[in-house]
Amino acid sequence: MAGKKTISRVTIKKMSRYKKHPASYRDPSGFVFEQDGIYYRQVNKMYAANYELLIKSGLYDLLVKANKMLSHTEVEENLTGQEDWYKTLLPEQLRFISYPYEWCFSQWKDAALLTLELLQTALDHGMILKDATPFNIQFADGGPLLIDSLSFEKYDETKPWVAYHQFIECFIAPLLLARYQSADLLRMFQLYPDGIPLRLVAGMLPFKSFLNIQVWLHIRLPNMLPAGAGAAQKKAPAFSRKKMKHLISNLFSFVQSLSLSPVKTQWNNYYDETILSDAYLSAKKKIVEAWLRELPASTVLDLGTNTGLFAEVAALTGKYTIAVDADTACIDKLYTRCRKEKINDLTALCSDIVNPAPAIGWQNGERTAFLERARPDIVLALALVHHLVIGRNISLQQLVSFFYAHTTNFLIIEFIPLSDEKAHQLTLHRDFQDRAYNEDVFENSFSDCFAIEEKAVVPFSDRILYRMKKTGIPL
Amino acid sequence: MLSYLLYIDPGSGSYLVQAIIAAVLGIAFYFKTIWLRIKLFFGGRKKDNQPGNHKENEQV
Repeated sequence: MAGKKTISRVTIKKMSRYKKHPASYRDPSGFVFEQDGIYYRQVNKMYAANYELLIKSGLYDLLVKANKMLSHTEVEENLTGQEDWYKTLLPEQLRFISYPYEWCFSQWKDAALLTLELLQTALDHGMILKDATPFNIQFADGGPLLIDSLSFEKYDETKPWVAYHQFIECFIAPLLLARYQSADLLRMFQLYPDGIPLRLVAGMLPFKSFLNIQVWLHIRLPNMLPAGAGAAQKKAPAFSRKKMKHLISNLFSFVQSLSLSPVKTQWNNYYDETILSDAYLSAKKKIVEAWLRELPASTVLDLGTNTGLFAEVAALTGKYTIAVDADTACIDKLYTRCRKEKINDLTALCSDIVNPAPAIGWQNGERTAFLERARPDIVLALALVHHLVIGRNISLQQLVSFFYAHTTNFLIIEFIPLSDEKAHQLTLHRDFQDRAYNEDVFENSFSDCFAIEEKAVVPFSDRILYRMKKTGIPL
Repeated sequence: MLSYLLYIDPGSGSYLVQAIIAAVLGIAFYFKTIWLRIKLFFGGRKKDNQPGNHKENEQV
């Protein structure tokens, strides 16, 4: 009797311990849950045959070896206690989750190409991709990676691609808006996380897109079909493997042909064009690198990274670095460089620090806010403070509480005095001269919550670097 | 089983769209193949000379 009681207690305890991921409710094949800080994926009974096919066909091994899919190990235990349970998977844990509306154009394009590659490889193994959302892709170890192990199902040659429409609305639509309008429109995906409606996209594309036959086929044609066309779906002629092959190679060449026309933004040639001398930059690099090496920390968040000169320094010291900038062209440059030079410890993302991605989805719980996801040990804020204080009217007090809340330990920050030409330029059209903004005020503001460990004037400039450690109580 | 297969909305008329696109691409592929054959018929011999040239370069 006593033994029985113990067992039931353990079962109850186990059942109540797991927490289902708030975004993992759409696909009945299984779901992601968290237990003791570890993420697992449950495979439900209904997906058993497809899961076995994924493993036995060799598709899983091939994709994992090629670094195109997140690997997992099978856990022989029903952690959720559900009757529907078939298998528990322990996926390789990711250090950070980014969302598509934080990606630059090249990241979107790589994610779209990976999705098509997965589809092609699946077909060769008798399976097909049953969903095509960018939320199933993450950037880890330098490149895109499929994280949803339940995305494949047995291929039926007579059927077209069930996720075709989703692929067009979720990948092609944002890419086309970026290509023909502005890369800033990629953030529109935050408003339409299930895909940007084709009617909306068609209306936003300029006249010159009419010359592109692909746009006609994939965007305008669906809009031209009569409303009742959906009912005719079942009567549509049978599909074939050959037709599928044509469709995929067409989508491949479509995505590959999309590129941004080179635009000059305010920031993407900042280092090349400004008065900031190479001597200043290399002196600053040396100081920052030395300080970073001394700190016992594993993650860095570089705010206002520009093209990532210092984020790269941080990544090369062996610390995992998230580098963000509001300028998508800068992030595109950085991402492309990291892929080329295989800097795998760096994740580059588009994020405006005064308006970072909020929590979205059902009950605001599906996708968390950017600042909640990034919990760095060190925050880097180089050549940033003057933009926030002078350019965006954020007070030093606000800055202090922001940094206090978002670094777990350290802050490397650069103070740019009004005597600096860049800071001076910002004050030209603003009534700023009366505000208290100098070295003493800056240090005093931070002294309540941070201890200044190191201080150095950057050679060839009036700028001052500080290394601070969190202390005291928040404001 | 049906509800499982269609857990995502395939999109109104998306099967029809794919059928039309596949037909268009099939026709395009047919003409492309013919065009390639014509090109090969007239220009195929030029390609045969290329490896020879390459070898000479390598020896130099």
